Amino acid sequence: MKFGVFFEISVPRPWGPETEYTVYQNCLEQARLADELGFDQAWAVEHHFLEEYSHCSAPEIFLTAIAMQTKQIRVGHGIVTCVPELNSPIRAAERAAVLDLVSGGRLEFGTGRSATWTELGGFGANPDETKKTWDEYVRVIPKMWTQERFGWQGRAFSMPERTIVPKPYQKPHPPMWVAVTSVGTEIDAAERGLGSLGLSFGGVGEQAQKIEGYRKRIQSCDPVGEFVNEQVNTVSFLYCHEDDEKGITTGQQLAGTFNYLSEQTLATRQAFPTPSYLSPGLLYQLRRESTGGPEGRVPEGLTIGDPHRVAQAVARWEEAGVDRINFLLNVAEMVPQEDVLASMRLFAKEVMPQFQRDEATEPAGATAAGGA
Amino acid sequence: MPLTGTRDLGAIADAAALVPNLDTEEWELKGAQHLQLHYELGGDRTGLLPPALHPSIPPTLLVNVTHVPESEAGAFTFATVRVGCRSGARPRGLLVRGYCDSPSAAAVLRERWGLPLEIADVRLDPSYARAATSVTLDGATILAGELVDPQPITGADVQYMATLALARVARDGEETLLIQVDPDYTFDRAQRGTARLTAFDAEAWALPGATAAHPISASLTTVDVTLPRLRYLVHPEKPPMQAVERLPQPQPA
Repeated sequence: MKFGVFFEISVPRPWGPETEYTVYQNCLEQARLADELGFDQAWAVEHHFLEEYSHCSAPEIFLTAIAMQTKQIRVGHGIVTCVPELNSPIRAAERAAVLDLVSGGRLEFGTGRSATWTELGGFGANPDETKKTWDEYVRVIPKMWTQERFGWQGRAFSMPERTIVPKPYQKPHPPMWVAVTSVGTEIDAAERGLGSLGLSFGGVGEQAQKIEGYRKRIQSCDPVGEFVNEQVNTVSFLYCHEDDEKGITTGQQLAGTFNYLSEQTLATRQAFPTPSYLSPGLLYQLRRESTGGPEGRVPEGLTIGDPHRVAQAVARWEEAGVDRINFLLNVAEMVPQEDVLASMRLFAKEVMPQFQRDEATEPAGATAAGGA
Repeated sequence: MPLTGTRDLGAIADAAALVPNLDTEEWELKGAQHLQLHYELGGDRTGLLPPALHPSIPPTLLVNVTHVPESEAGAFTFATVRVGCRSGARPRGLLVRGYCDSPSAAAVLRERWGLPLEIADVRLDPSYARAATSVTLDGATILAGELVDPQPITGADVQYMATLALARVARDGEETLLIQVDPDYTFDRAQRGTARLTAFDAEAWALPGATAAHPISASLTTVDVTLPRLRYLVHPEKPPMQAVERLPQPQPA
């Protein structure tokens, strides 16, 4: 079991001249500490226009800053939105390659398609098309990274033959992932040989079933890249405190605040009837799974409380087949920065060692294309 | 904390429906045709909502027109224009004024669900190429719009937001409250198209300054609608986290 950190970069109102600066600096400090403590990955979302909930609209720059301030920790796009109105696939491939070069080969490349009308509508994107454009992007981007010359006639985009430079530092290319929130996307990931970047909070039993399906299907996948990235990540809130009650109370406040902010946005399904977004989506799942525990109890898999309780939750994820948990450390600055850092230190001291094993190193779970 | 509304709904409550009894029974309306035109709302995003509600991000305007071919109140058509918002974390549409072409149906909907409906000529005219709607009040067109280029979808693709209807409730005196109306829908057919609004008199809908700024979608469904028993009220002047009141429900036998 490995551990990472996950940044949404939520910025609470009222917004003063220093608010966003302070939140960004706090996140960078958390990333530096994560690196020192042995967390192995730092992920950042791409979101646009999601007031308060996420001000992380240029993750490639934020991740570059993390890479420049750390030594070991890998940096992950969680995710690049694979929709032409938001990101050209050529620019996505170029930016990722540069980030991989300047970080010394530490990039994890997550892909997805956005779940909100707030974002898709803001860029004039058609929700009917996003699954198709995502599928095209994940097939062409590894080719852009590995072929000297690349040209394409497709549905989402076309280009005459060019040499796309630079190429990533990792060879053949960085590990690729897909955000799994909608039902069935874990199978989309498996069929393409992509890592499953689970973005649900809690819900271990349901996740275990999905993971089993993912592991089974990926054995016969047709990888879109040069290798199969068989890994399963999930996301949870982390608040670890010596006082169990304090840890639970604060952790549940984090989850509640996160869900409250996220629900203020307009889910695609709420605004634009389309079979492309049949699932209630990430936001509904987050609320259900992270706040839906039995009366008076912490929802299963939520990593909050004292070290013993947090270790039990991690063990449950391990049993379910998860390779890595990425932790959301704070929401809307509701926990003072010193307490966030203390929570990370306590977790690293008391919990992390219980799950350290001799494991193959990066990219973990990767096998040669066709060799799965 | 997300933005909250600033509007004093008490100032327009005199025209709201008076609900004498919150213990209403369900009402099934079979074979209704339902048009929804969904727009992004322009202008002030907090000025149309009371302090109990957050504007959604982005704020939206929902035009809904329902034609009921037969009911105990006869055939009728009613139209609402709602402001898309959030009650706490829940998606809702605030309704402060609507129109119905049938006085008898309007009376039922006002008294039992608190829908603030007044009488006007309300039309819904679906065809294969479009579905047009209009609302005419005292000879003036206060709403005109249409769904164009309908494409078949399934009812599973459609999600309607529950309504919070401005009403006066007789309960230990008269209170100005928002009544949650969240019908059940059983879809027979569904189509999606492009929304086009050609006339919208914001004042006539008690939404001063509201503009339909950017079309999102339009849908037309044939659907059985069950208006529900009342379950929740919202106190408009309270903060969002303290505003929702759950009504007592009958115990299952």
